[in-house]
Amino acid sequence: MIELEGITKVYRAGSQSLEALRGISLGIGTGEFVSIMGPSGSGKSTLMNIIGCLDTPTAGEYVLDSDKVAGLTFDQLAAVRNRKIGFVFQNFNLLPYATAWENIELPMLFDGKGGRRRRERVTELLNAVGLYDWRDHRPSELSGGQQQRVALARALANDPPILLADEPTGNLDSKSGQEIMEILVELWKEGRTIVMVTHNDHIAARSGRIIRLFDGQVLS
Amino acid sequence: MNATLPRFFWSEYRKRRKKASLITFALFWGTLSVLLLMAFGRGMSTQFQVAFSGLGDTLIMVYGGQTSLEFEGLPKGRQIRLYPEDIDYLKDRVPEIMRIAPESYDYFQVSANGKEINRNVHGTTAEFGVMRTQVPQLGGRFLDADDVVEGRKVAFIGWKVAADLFGAGDPVGKQIVVNRIPFTVIGVLVKKIQDSMYNGPDADQVYLPFYAYQQIDNRRRINQIHIQPYDASQSKLIEERVRTLLGRKYRFDPDDRYATSFWNTIENNKDGMAVFKGIEIFLGIIGVLTLLIGAVGVTNLMYAVAKERTKEIGIKLAIGARRRVIVQQFFLETLFVFAKGTFWGCITAFNVVNLIRLAPINYDSFGIEAYLLRPVFSLQIFLVYMVILGVLVFLSGIFPAFRASRSNPIESLRYE
Repeated sequence: MIELEGITKVYRAGSQSLEALRGISLGIGTGEFVSIMGPSGSGKSTLMNIIGCLDTPTAGEYVLDSDKVAGLTFDQLAAVRNRKIGFVFQNFNLLPYATAWENIELPMLFDGKGGRRRRERVTELLNAVGLYDWRDHRPSELSGGQQQRVALARALANDPPILLADEPTGNLDSKSGQEIMEILVELWKEGRTIVMVTHNDHIAARSGRIIRLFDGQVLS
Repeated sequence: MNATLPRFFWSEYRKRRKKASLITFALFWGTLSVLLLMAFGRGMSTQFQVAFSGLGDTLIMVYGGQTSLEFEGLPKGRQIRLYPEDIDYLKDRVPEIMRIAPESYDYFQVSANGKEINRNVHGTTAEFGVMRTQVPQLGGRFLDADDVVEGRKVAFIGWKVAADLFGAGDPVGKQIVVNRIPFTVIGVLVKKIQDSMYNGPDADQVYLPFYAYQQIDNRRRINQIHIQPYDASQSKLIEERVRTLLGRKYRFDPDDRYATSFWNTIENNKDGMAVFKGIEIFLGIIGVLTLLIGAVGVTNLMYAVAKERTKEIGIKLAIGARRRVIVQQFFLETLFVFAKGTFWGCITAFNVVNLIRLAPINYDSFGIEAYLLRPVFSLQIFLVYMVILGVLVFLSGIFPAFRASRSNPIESLRYE
């Protein structure tokens, strides 16, 4: 499903350059639940952003679902992010002025899905994350846990085969974190491929495989 | 683009309209200020021109004088006077002259309706009316050729004379008595702005047919001759030829500048026009500067608001929005805000201008209000303004979105 070969990412600021990833090669199969762990600055998020097609590698090859990502146009990448990948961020990244319903509906709008299909799917997702009664609330009126559940529902809107979660429980209390983890495990059991970045060993323990990064390289 | 996206754009705009209202107001205010400024400028310039042409249209006036040079044995200091026959004499010899009219005047007692006033009374011909913009009020007329030839006892009077003698009543058809001879009023001058004059404003004058006037004033000489050329550019040439011809007839040196004198309004108008043009250019520069200051404010605001939405763009890109969708949304929002702000600014400016134009002008004193209270709304200026501001607003409103949509989503997502 996901194949990385010699992925390098260098950030440049003026004459300074920082090598965030140093030739990472790894593969993640369909239906796997992989945790990426490592200390701060080890390149977890950078790797995650490259897998999620939010960022491009400086060097190396990324093959997603047998397509070379480097050969895709900007709009083809947008389509990949829209249909193949659902992304859950540590800080939720919900649109602040939009309601829970509207936030979840957005990926389907960009996919050009009709009104009826959108309504049905949003209702289904809101029920699944237990927030149907909160559908007209804006992010600022929701708790952190609720916001992350809205973000999770949004990530699943177009039913993508891959779910990427960048420290999804990082900003949550333990109870809310647990709830999110239950949902992720449930989704894994349903056959979805999940890649999650985390600091937390207990949370990582619930996934199928752990990849450890250190200083931009894979340890294990 | 399917119909879902515009609906989505609209619903997003409505959520943010409080923020957008600030930009809308800035556009409204900028439009209103620039258009009003330009309307007052244009109005002032127009009123200057109207006032300038109050005396007459492309007019050369010729007066007699006193010789300052000896000529063919004749001493200097001789009086040169003009006579009625000079009209035909000049008309026959100077083909560049389109119209020519004599004018004699003196101070007389004028009475009617039991009231007596002293006013300048003039004797002239029909052509004078055209040259000196003697436009009659509705229901009246100026002197015509038959009035002059037959020496009819008719009179054309200024509006102040009419008001002094007849109050608010219509004087046309009524009689006035000048030097004990009755004249029938055939017309009253319309109110006009007049900033240059001799013997006071036309509003205070009484005009009689030339031969009828000679019955109350037995001097044979005339005070001045009015000449209108076919082509205004020939005014200097006409001046030279008239001076030479009169010199030949009355025997003075054609180079003698004091034997006759000329009031060439065409030459004066050139100076005047330069002043009007200067005023227009000056106000144009102020308008452009005002526009730029306004544009800097508006574009700054738009840029800041668009920049502030970088993260929003990042989120949308991250969940699969295409570049086109992002740019389309910003374009439509900017278009809507721009149209709304400038539309209301334009409508308000138009109404303010027309409201101010309703204010009455005091034609008696012809003070500053005559220049200020007649602003002119110009569609041309509005269109130029729209183009300049439009370009700036669209650049500032869309550029940040355009740039954000071309970079990796993560860069926009990191924007705080």
